[in-house]
Amino acid sequence: MAQVILGVGDYGASNAPGDEVKTFALGSCVSVILLDPKTRTVGMAHVALPDSSINKAKATEKPGYFADTAIPALLAEMAKFGCHKKGKGMVVKLCGGANVMDSNDTFQIGKRNALAIKKILWAYGMGAVAEDLGKNFSRTVAISVETGQVTLSSPGRPNWNI
Amino acid sequence: MDHKITMENLQEIIQSIPLLSASASRLLQVTANPDHELEEVISLVKTDANLTARVLKVVNSAAFGLMTEITSIDRAISYLGERIIVSIAIGDCAGKLFEKELSGYEAAGGALWKHDLRTAIAARELVVQSGADISPDLAFTAGLLHDIGKSLISDYLKDTAPDAVSQISSQDSYDYLAAEEKLVGIPHTVAGYELAKAWQLPNELCEVILHHHKPSEAAEEARALTYAVHLGDNIAMLGGFGTGSDSLQYHLDSGYNEYLNLPPKVLDSVMLEVDIEFQKLEQSLEGMGG
Repeated sequence: MAQVILGVGDYGASNAPGDEVKTFALGSCVSVILLDPKTRTVGMAHVALPDSSINKAKATEKPGYFADTAIPALLAEMAKFGCHKKGKGMVVKLCGGANVMDSNDTFQIGKRNALAIKKILWAYGMGAVAEDLGKNFSRTVAISVETGQVTLSSPGRPNWNI
Repeated sequence: MDHKITMENLQEIIQSIPLLSASASRLLQVTANPDHELEEVISLVKTDANLTARVLKVVNSAAFGLMTEITSIDRAISYLGERIIVSIAIGDCAGKLFEKELSGYEAAGGALWKHDLRTAIAARELVVQSGADISPDLAFTAGLLHDIGKSLISDYLKDTAPDAVSQISSQDSYDYLAAEEKLVGIPHTVAGYELAKAWQLPNELCEVILHHHKPSEAAEEARALTYAVHLGDNIAMLGGFGTGSDSLQYHLDSGYNEYLNLPPKVLDSVMLEVDIEFQKLEQSLEGMGG
């Protein structure tokens, strides 16, 4: 089984049934998962920050880093696998976006990430069918391309699915 | 199963750990003094042939992409800056502690070094952005050392991570420090503080190590610095670089507002800066910690 490992700000897709698309230790970062039932393609972006306006150069170098540039980049990548360019028919799942306990507005970066992503998805007419967002723990996410099953893990906790 | 550590056990553990080298110890003292000169750092490094060689190796590593080789130690130090010299010195003496697999926290080898490096970068950046009257390089050093106690108690915490995590989610323990205390008797902050004292680290650094989860309890003269590391620690964890099961299992102390005047949306820019700087430092210090 091959693994497609995505780091912070990376995005990628696979339609090889044996593959697993995976990202490690999401804190406040959010993993945007797009599943295309028609072409059986799985795509994911590991988004770190809500808005690319703070550093355009970084957004050009790593579009997956910011919510506003990650989703268009992921859709374009998935189009290479024959998926609809605007995400029509895709199933969306979101996870990550953790916060610190007793967080204040400044530190609610996980919440801001999730909200920014949802707003952009809404603009495409897409909404998440499943999400595991917020709370105060880190999440490692793995998606089986064959089954589309999303498995989450975190140190000290049993694995779970969404 | 009882794994309780007594203060006597802790002292034995500490005695089994190599002391910092004389030059590293002196370097930490000199750089903690706000009035020190770069020349003092240079002459200190020159007294240590190993450290000199490491510094030259780092400055000429691919990460800095210099066109011509730097062979003078003076130039190397002024190019790299104090924080990198301190990282090299600490990594040389205590690399094994940072590199160790933290099995008690279900964290792989090297996780502590990466977490500490990111905390250090974030703490330094917060000091710079807040304009606070603290040395940014001291904030970096404090960030690097804040969690050193974890490597002392980790073995005793083996197989306790699920218990600790559930104590916190059921609110039986306030945070991971409280869970550590219940499970092994001594939290990582106290273990780190005792090591810092044995290493004769400057007082500000000892305060940060002891109070980085409750900065309001730090001595007044070290409080702003402790807040910077407290926030840096949280930023490292939010960025996905914790040390395993305790990641994000602590409370944010919003009292930092009194000590650090941070601009709105500071988190976005600090997190980005941490990612960029971490990549560079990790590559140049490769093999130093983990």
